[in-house]
Amino acid sequence: MSDRLSDVRGFVRGLPRRPLLAVGVLLLLAVPFLFPSQSDLATEALIFGLFAISVDIVLGYAGLLSLAPAAFFGLGSYTVAKLVVDYGQSFWLGFPLAIVLALVLALVVGYVPIKRRIGNVYFVLFTLAFGAIVHDFTFVTTWLTGGSDGLGFFGPPEVLGIDLGGNTEYYYFTLVTVAIVGYGLYLLIKSDYGDILHATRQNELRMRYLGYDTNRELMIAWLVSAAVSAFAGAVYVGLVGIASPSLVSFALTGDVIIWIIVGGTGTLLGPFGAAIGLVFVQELLQNLWQGGYRLLLGILFVVFVFVLPDGLMGLLRDEE
Amino acid sequence: MLEIPLITTENFITYALNGLSRGMIIFLVASGLSLIFGLIGLINFAHGAMLALGGYGTYVVIQATGNFWLGLVISVVLVAVLGLALERKVLYWIYDEPLLGFLSTFGIGLVIEEALAVYFGSRSYTVPSPLPESVQVLGVSYPSYRLFVILVGAVVALGIGLILVKTRLGLEIHATANMQPTAEILGVDTARIYTITFVLGTALAALAGALTAPITSMYPTIGLDYITMAFLVIIVGGMGSFKGSFVVSMIVGQIIAFGWLVLSPTYVRILVFAAAMVFILYKPRGFFGKAEVHE
Repeated sequence: MSDRLSDVRGFVRGLPRRPLLAVGVLLLLAVPFLFPSQSDLATEALIFGLFAISVDIVLGYAGLLSLAPAAFFGLGSYTVAKLVVDYGQSFWLGFPLAIVLALVLALVVGYVPIKRRIGNVYFVLFTLAFGAIVHDFTFVTTWLTGGSDGLGFFGPPEVLGIDLGGNTEYYYFTLVTVAIVGYGLYLLIKSDYGDILHATRQNELRMRYLGYDTNRELMIAWLVSAAVSAFAGAVYVGLVGIASPSLVSFALTGDVIIWIIVGGTGTLLGPFGAAIGLVFVQELLQNLWQGGYRLLLGILFVVFVFVLPDGLMGLLRDEE
Repeated sequence: MLEIPLITTENFITYALNGLSRGMIIFLVASGLSLIFGLIGLINFAHGAMLALGGYGTYVVIQATGNFWLGLVISVVLVAVLGLALERKVLYWIYDEPLLGFLSTFGIGLVIEEALAVYFGSRSYTVPSPLPESVQVLGVSYPSYRLFVILVGAVVALGIGLILVKTRLGLEIHATANMQPTAEILGVDTARIYTITFVLGTALAALAGALTAPITSMYPTIGLDYITMAFLVIIVGGMGSFKGSFVVSMIVGQIIAFGWLVLSPTYVRILVFAAAMVFILYKPRGFFGKAEVHE
């Protein structure tokens, strides 16, 4: 078994990186031609991939487990939907507004717990309460959010003569935005800031001795994560055309945590790939065994937590 | 435009009793969580799934035998055995890592809930009340089953409270929670204390699930709402404080029972959660807590 495994590792590591990347990019570009009927699914997978990356920055790099990422994702969706459906404003205005609102909300919610360093256990429970409040709030403020009916329906507009309402068009739009934002996050993590975050997670006390304001570093990660989650939510609502309470539910938070653990925390590419892979697996399984997908997902998750805590990337990357 | 309706004495008593029975269910969930959280420092997210198992187990036994009481006992015992296996075989190894503890119990809970969803479907189930008649309490007619729930809650509270305060076991639990290495040196079998506490906490969750089955409808993820509320109850009450979770459960039960007169129940829930968030930030030891959970 371990022989086979190291064979696989050697194979993966031996592969030239750049051609592999090129193949990946070509595959992503060719999805609408290869699987025309699956464009929507591929769009969804890409968005969830970006969402997983944004949460991985907080969980994997800053070491903070939040149980409320869906709140920010949903905030992005609801902002765009509200502007388009109720105020008749431009779809595009929703994107910057969603990011600004997410930053403000993240600052309000995260400032005190991060500044007071309430500790991991309390942070988990704090965000659990916050997520529950946002979910309840979405149901009960019918005048604002449409309650359980949500806000819909609408489609993305035409840009430069291209109707983004089409499946293929929206797929390419998503691909470009996810690529830009994802690459931006990659650069951020590869920068000095990423090293500081990494070092802070390893030994926060020592970083403070070295003169780093670790609270500020954690705060930046928290804000970036919230903004990107909201952005992903905004792109997502353009795909499904309706913002509904399921987008802020604990189930979505659970899913994103599973994607990250399965892909490998703190690897960016791992959660991204795991989210995309699992969205497709879900689609496949749903035809075979209705309802069984989430059971298998749970079992898979438990296996990863206990047997492969470093996730798929950890499996491929390191010997030890 | 808050409009406070005039309530009669009869209504007032009914609401207070509703709040009491509701508070008792919350207390059963919260006390189990509080024992596990306060002693082990484990955020046991599988607790809600144990509650669901207790409820569904009762349902299954009722389908087979028609006897609610038998179902109650069997499901509580079976879930306790499951808790024992889980603690010994799995969780015992990860007590030192709170993040891993959360992730693994979250995963285990997910598997249990989804297995329930696959087997029973996601539709909700109800169980007929084993005590359908009503009795006169303080001049109002009140369902006797709910009185039974109040009674069970009170007995459990008293029983566990006495164990914690009066017995050798209680002393050892306190010692282990305060300073595990020292307790170990002084001859306390702390691994055994952990196991007993976890099994007891799990059995309380199953008891809450079984008791709530005739009152509310069951669905696989029923536990999530309860444990969210229960986590916040034990924070406000004080981490690991048994008395704290009892008092706060009773208060929350009354707030929910009377709150809907002025606000919709969801707003009441939001207010309770918001209060808990403030507590986490500014008074993480709650009303009755002594020490914070160690990282």
